[in-house]
Amino acid sequence: MSLINPLDSIERQNEKLLLISKVLMRRVEQKNEQSGLAYAQFERAALLEMQVKERTIDLERTLDLLQESNAQLEEANRETETARTNLGEAIETINEGFALFDSNDLLVLFNSRFCRDMKDVEMRLVEGLPFNDYVDLVSRSSSLALPPDVTPAQWANRRTERHRDNHVVFNVSLKHDRWIQVSEHRTARRGTVILQTDVTEIIRLERKEQDRMRDRQAQILQATLDHLNQGVCIFDHAKNLVGWNKKMNQLLDLPPQEAALGRNFFILLEQLEKQLIFSDQFDVDMLVRWANHNEGRSPIAFEVTRNGRQTFSVFGQEMPDRGFVMSFTDVTAERSAAKSLAEMNEVLEQRVQDRTNELGIALSEAERANASKSRFVAAASHDLLQPLSAAKLFVASVSDRLTQPDLLNVIGKAETALISVEKIIEALLDISKLDATSPTFDIQPVRLDAILGPLSDELTPVARDKGLDLTIVSCGLTVRSDPGYLRRIAQNLISNAIRYTQSGKVLVGVRRSGATARMEIWDTGFGIAEADQKLIFQEFKRLDMANSAAGLGLGLAIVERACKSLNHPLHLCSIPDKGSCFTVELKILCSDKAQKTTVRPMSDSPKLPKLGQIILLVENDGDLANAISLMIEGWGAHVIHALNGEEAIAILRDIDLVPDVLLLDCQLGDGMSGPELHQRIIQQYGPIPTRMISADRSSALAQQCASMGLNLMPKPIDRLRLFDFLHSVS
Amino acid sequence: MTEKIQSNGRDVHVLSQAQVSVKCDDPVAHLREKLGDAPLALLTVFVTPNVDFAAVSERLNAVFPTTDIVACTTAGEIGAGGYEEGTILGLGYPAAHFDSISILVEDLDGRETQSAVDRIAQDRVALRDRNPKKLNGFAFLVVDGLSLREDTLTAAISPALRDMPLFGGSAGDGTRFKQTFVSFNGRMRQNAAVLTMIQTDHKTQVFSIDHLVPTDIQMVVTDADPDRRIVKSINAEPAAREYARLVGTNPDQLDQFTFASHPVVVRIGGAHHVRAIQQVTPKGELVFFSAIDEGMVLTVAEPRDMAEHLDEKLTELSRMGTLTDIVGCDCILRRIEAEQKQSTRQVSDVLTRHKVIGFSTYGEQIGPLHVNHTMSGLAIYAETHGGEA
Repeated sequence: MSLINPLDSIERQNEKLLLISKVLMRRVEQKNEQSGLAYAQFERAALLEMQVKERTIDLERTLDLLQESNAQLEEANRETETARTNLGEAIETINEGFALFDSNDLLVLFNSRFCRDMKDVEMRLVEGLPFNDYVDLVSRSSSLALPPDVTPAQWANRRTERHRDNHVVFNVSLKHDRWIQVSEHRTARRGTVILQTDVTEIIRLERKEQDRMRDRQAQILQATLDHLNQGVCIFDHAKNLVGWNKKMNQLLDLPPQEAALGRNFFILLEQLEKQLIFSDQFDVDMLVRWANHNEGRSPIAFEVTRNGRQTFSVFGQEMPDRGFVMSFTDVTAERSAAKSLAEMNEVLEQRVQDRTNELGIALSEAERANASKSRFVAAASHDLLQPLSAAKLFVASVSDRLTQPDLLNVIGKAETALISVEKIIEALLDISKLDATSPTFDIQPVRLDAILGPLSDELTPVARDKGLDLTIVSCGLTVRSDPGYLRRIAQNLISNAIRYTQSGKVLVGVRRSGATARMEIWDTGFGIAEADQKLIFQEFKRLDMANSAAGLGLGLAIVERACKSLNHPLHLCSIPDKGSCFTVELKILCSDKAQKTTVRPMSDSPKLPKLGQIILLVENDGDLANAISLMIEGWGAHVIHALNGEEAIAILRDIDLVPDVLLLDCQLGDGMSGPELHQRIIQQYGPIPTRMISADRSSALAQQCASMGLNLMPKPIDRLRLFDFLHSVS
Repeated sequence: MTEKIQSNGRDVHVLSQAQVSVKCDDPVAHLREKLGDAPLALLTVFVTPNVDFAAVSERLNAVFPTTDIVACTTAGEIGAGGYEEGTILGLGYPAAHFDSISILVEDLDGRETQSAVDRIAQDRVALRDRNPKKLNGFAFLVVDGLSLREDTLTAAISPALRDMPLFGGSAGDGTRFKQTFVSFNGRMRQNAAVLTMIQTDHKTQVFSIDHLVPTDIQMVVTDADPDRRIVKSINAEPAAREYARLVGTNPDQLDQFTFASHPVVVRIGGAHHVRAIQQVTPKGELVFFSAIDEGMVLTVAEPRDMAEHLDEKLTELSRMGTLTDIVGCDCILRRIEAEQKQSTRQVSDVLTRHKVIGFSTYGEQIGPLHVNHTMSGLAIYAETHGGEA
């Protein structure tokens, strides 16, 4: 059936439809009056209810889902429970203690073997127990064997420290010698698995093995000790004897092993003390003090004699356990050997002393003999010269009267022989001077040219006569030497070279080598074989015996003695048939200090360069004044002598002369003093070179003179200084 | 009755039930006797219209002086034998498992309703607070069946109940449609309602059964008097005649049986709600059991086999647990339809088998709605929070 009644006319239908539409439209627009409220409420309620129903259905669906999730959750829980049970059963089958802590360090599960050996811990294990509480329980467990000096809190701290490591394995000692190995493993979720394994049996086995090894080591050690040739005894930190070797028994007669073992050091020492004598700077108190140090003993060594028969060298040293070890070496034999050695040494020393004394006597006798020989030679030579001069005068007077040529020839030969004797005697005089116990030398700066120049003039004609070429190269160096002896050395060497050279030349030159001047004399003579090089310096030794005209053989002997005494090293270098070279080394003096020196012939008194100087000597000691006067006059000067200042002034006024030099004694008796006199003279006559002389060596006088610009010459007067002074002002 | 539930017993009930014939002397006393001594939180009494309701109401108040008594007149009772008449039926809610607060709402036309709504909200909270162990709640409404205010009332009180599900029935007057009454503790009223809120630890389920299937025959109300629920014209024709045309009947022979056989529904959203026709006025207008309005579209529905459908629905309910009692508010139109289709016996058997106790109504309330031609009700199960099964 439809809204439209087909029986109606179209108009009617249309009319009805219009009405229906109008009603519907009003309804849709909700323009109905209050009258329609009830239905509207119903309609709203119905809509609401429907929505509620839909929501309810949704809610129910949600609830169903929830239910389902709950069911799944329950299933999951059951599975978890099953897994947990399985896990529990599984860990129960492990033969070790097992516990699992989660990432928050709370105990999750553990098996019945966990902490089984610590009943007081086991009964307090619960799920959720924090790890720290577990450690705390263990640390305070009555079953735990804490190491000595470790409190439960310290143990727990160390245990907790270890817990931070990723993988931990350590052993825990329990009471009654039980051991547990505890290992920690980190799980993937940062949990911790703790395994406890009972390792008591292993530890005990290990310990047995260790004991066995220790026994063996001890045996080896004992055997080693017994093998030693020293007595060794070891004391522990309580100073009780814990070990020694067989040698020790022999050395000290210790009680039998068992009785001695554990004996205190001091008791042993007390037993032995009366038999012992400690050697130098060591005594029993020092030993006791050393032993009483409980640690940090430094090693000691001392010697001890027992019963006066045996001597031991004892060495004590601390051991790592703060005990100490002492070794005894029997040095009785060594000490007695050393003693006899010392005695023998003494005897020998005595013998050496005796012999030395004998030698000294012999030497002084020899020296005395030598000196008397020299004195004899000198006296003989001197005494020989007088008759020789007379003999020469007599021969000369004879030759003047002779006319026969054959007699003249004989006389000529006698004259030549006399001259030769004179030369030999002069040479012997020289040698005797050099051989004197203390030859006197006049060491001073010497210009080599001053030596070599005159020699060149003197010897060039001799060489020329022999057809030789003598070249002496001049040299500006100044050396330290005695000018007279140096001249004799050079003269002898050059004469020698000319004498033993048949042809060729002789070359003399000076080489400078650092601070040394090497004076070299070269020749082209026979040369000297090496075997003969020592011989030539002996007296009366001549190699060329055939050449009688050559010489006496004293030249090189004089050279050798003079060089040695003047400390001028002498060298010889020679090749036979080629030539020889003599070298004399001389110390060079700086050239700016060089002084012009003249060489005084050795045999004559030195002479001042300017003769006839007038020297005023004021000296109140008459003997001394005579001696000085003689000496100065010997040098070629005149001396005016006065006994005091007043007399000196009177003499100068009388003779009306100005002296060239003043020599004034400082103390002139009661009158004016030396310096006062000097003042008076120079006031009247102007400055004159002056030397004050005095026996007073006090600094006051020296200062007084210095302040007045006067030079002081101490008494006794040094002859050389005086000569040099006069030489310098002349 | 005792609290003890025998799970395998057919006649085991959570509610105390008693049914007495009005023909006996002092039926209320008999009722008292049959209900037993267990203290009751609430006693609901469905009273046949064939008795002096005022007298019964007073007597009930006298006999049960300490128990809340909610009573109403019926259009027939549903008792141990299904559809019955001429009896007084008492349903007691044992205090051990139930607690209740009842509110008498008077003067449904006036302003009384709003203050009642406020009370409902407060009492609901109070009831719930004082019964922390009785977590399941529901509300039961009896309302004057001729008040014409059921739609407004349910819509008004529904928000105050919040999630507390409501079911109820409109008091009846047989098939006479003259006067209906409700009473609360002896106070007999017309144009009034009694709302009872109940908390229990038993599992409960409020339900509504509707066996109608909408057809494609539709009509539009073009003229109506909503206050009196009178539809004057449909499709711009006199209402009765147009209704008759659409359902294919003679307009002069329209009666309750026609209305029962050809009910009309309004479709709101995806659901449909019966707008049952009460009677035809001499002017050819149709009087409805529930609110109507102009512009309302009515759809003719066809009823399914009622006994079969009812059995199906109640069986569904029984699957939700150990069903012990069903309180049913069954529309008078369903009883009429059953009579017309001569299936009263079958329907009664179904009701008995599923332990349905209740009465025939002039309308049913479910949630915020007042509907017709349905059965709304409450299923009570043996299961409690305490785990009793």
